Amino acid sequence: MADGQIVVSGLTKLYKNVRAVDNLSFTVEPGRVTGFLGPNGAGKTTTLRMLLNLVKPTAGDATIGGQRYADLADPLRRVGAVLEASSAHKGRTGINHLRVVCAAAGFPRQRAEEALALVGLTPAAKRKFKGYSLGMRQRLGIAAAMLGDPQVLILDEPANGLDPEGIRWMRDLLKSLAAQGRTVLVSSHLLSEMQQLADDLVIIAAGKLVRQGTVSQVMDSMAHTAQVRVRTPQATELTEALRAVEQATITPNGDGVLLVTGVDAPTVGRAALKASVELHELTTERPDLERVFLELTAGKAAIR
Amino acid sequence: MNLIRAELLKIRSTSTWWIFLLITLPLWGLTLMFNGFQSAYLLSPEAAEGMSGEDAEQIIAAGDPANVAANLYTNGQFFGVAIVMLLGAIVVTNEYFHQTVTTTFLTTPHRTRVVLAKLFAASVFGLVLWVITTAANLPAGALIMGANDEASYMGDGTVWRAIALNGLAYLLWAIFGVGFGVLIRSQIGATITALVLYFAGYIGAAIFFGVLSDRFGDWFNNLQLLVPSLASQLMVSGTELPGNPPQWAGALVLIGYAIVAGTVGTLLMRTRDIS
Repeated sequence: MADGQIVVSGLTKLYKNVRAVDNLSFTVEPGRVTGFLGPNGAGKTTTLRMLLNLVKPTAGDATIGGQRYADLADPLRRVGAVLEASSAHKGRTGINHLRVVCAAAGFPRQRAEEALALVGLTPAAKRKFKGYSLGMRQRLGIAAAMLGDPQVLILDEPANGLDPEGIRWMRDLLKSLAAQGRTVLVSSHLLSEMQQLADDLVIIAAGKLVRQGTVSQVMDSMAHTAQVRVRTPQATELTEALRAVEQATITPNGDGVLLVTGVDAPTVGRAALKASVELHELTTERPDLERVFLELTAGKAAIR
Repeated sequence: MNLIRAELLKIRSTSTWWIFLLITLPLWGLTLMFNGFQSAYLLSPEAAEGMSGEDAEQIIAAGDPANVAANLYTNGQFFGVAIVMLLGAIVVTNEYFHQTVTTTFLTTPHRTRVVLAKLFAASVFGLVLWVITTAANLPAGALIMGANDEASYMGDGTVWRAIALNGLAYLLWAIFGVGFGVLIRSQIGATITALVLYFAGYIGAAIFFGVLSDRFGDWFNNLQLLVPSLASQLMVSGTELPGNPPQWAGALVLIGYAIVAGTVGTLLMRTRDIS
């Protein structure tokens, strides 16, 4: 398969006076699921649409496997996309929706049936689109994206409107597609979902790149926000002992528990030993993605 | 070619096309009835009685049986091209209304080709409607001619030229429709604007030129050629009517409009953001 690396460099989009996307650069590697995260209005959708030649960038460019989308000879065989604000004609059946795409892309007709079977929609093939539930619509979108058996998959908020079972189905599908060596780029504002699904993360806010890396790299970069949880029957003595350590911030959490930030667990342990304070518990609590995300994007309001 | 197949499949795979045919049918019948009565009047020897000079000349020329026959065999054009124009507009606005435009342009990033395929598919629909109405007009027209003791004039060159130009009109109005759909993306906005411009433009222009041509003379009267609906009517008149521009001028004006509509539409589509 051709190299499916996505490279976004210096991408900028100006709408009137708003910089929806501001000099954004990142790369997405094949064989991995990359989560594209940002609060609502961060510019995720605009970025994906620029990548797919649907929106003209003000500056910069984006390539898939070294080529711009508009220059791909057989775009649907290279890239499959499921975008928001993309739908099917309400009065057209699901199978006919896929047949139209097949006809335009020059695929054989039976690809429509195959793709429909892949997403489990065969029983609803001859039902009109207006009779589809939200989850079925999302599945039909994925079927359309899979028609050309593409190396690269781009999905904009695919979990929207899916029930828990649908979300699990989607997660398993995307993971298996990445395991086959495909590039999978998924945008979302649902962090918990990304933590379970993504290998890599690209986080943007207010149109700008905030962090890029593997999930653990992004978490580590926020290690200074890690907190130490310590439980002791002598909370007052320990608090006094820790006061001597300058950077420590101490928050009592009831039941003899203190939450300490600014210092690591060994420092807390040494301070306790020196003051002869009895400890019942001492653990480092890594921040979850949700907290990292909120901290990274804090103050970059979505409404601009 | 693939794209044209896809665009035709888009039209065929929804109920739009047969609803449009169903609307066309009664409208065709209505104009046939009107044209039937008008033919009987024009073919009667006393049609021009009591009129003077130019008016009488016009009526006598219009009463030429070949012209009456041409008018009957192109019956239904007035509403037919409006329907074709609407379909042409909907072929484009549908994509925005149902948000399929994203899929369309993901499948084919070369948007010019998409617009050309749409122009072609809409033209095919226009020609199909022309074939259907003509197939219905020929026996109906022959019957009416017979009822007025006239020959069918089916061997007459002017009659067939009128029928052919009628086909051209259906094709060109399909192209206008697509251009309209590109200019006004809203489904309701595009269809209503197109219809209002078509009918109000027709009636308004007829009144406008009727009142003012007396003051400014024939050259001004000839300007009504610039109103598309009047131009396409002129195009299908069987014989040349005194005081009216020739048929080919009507065809030229319509082709000019179609080229402008098609080109502007394509250029707009090429640069427009799809979000």
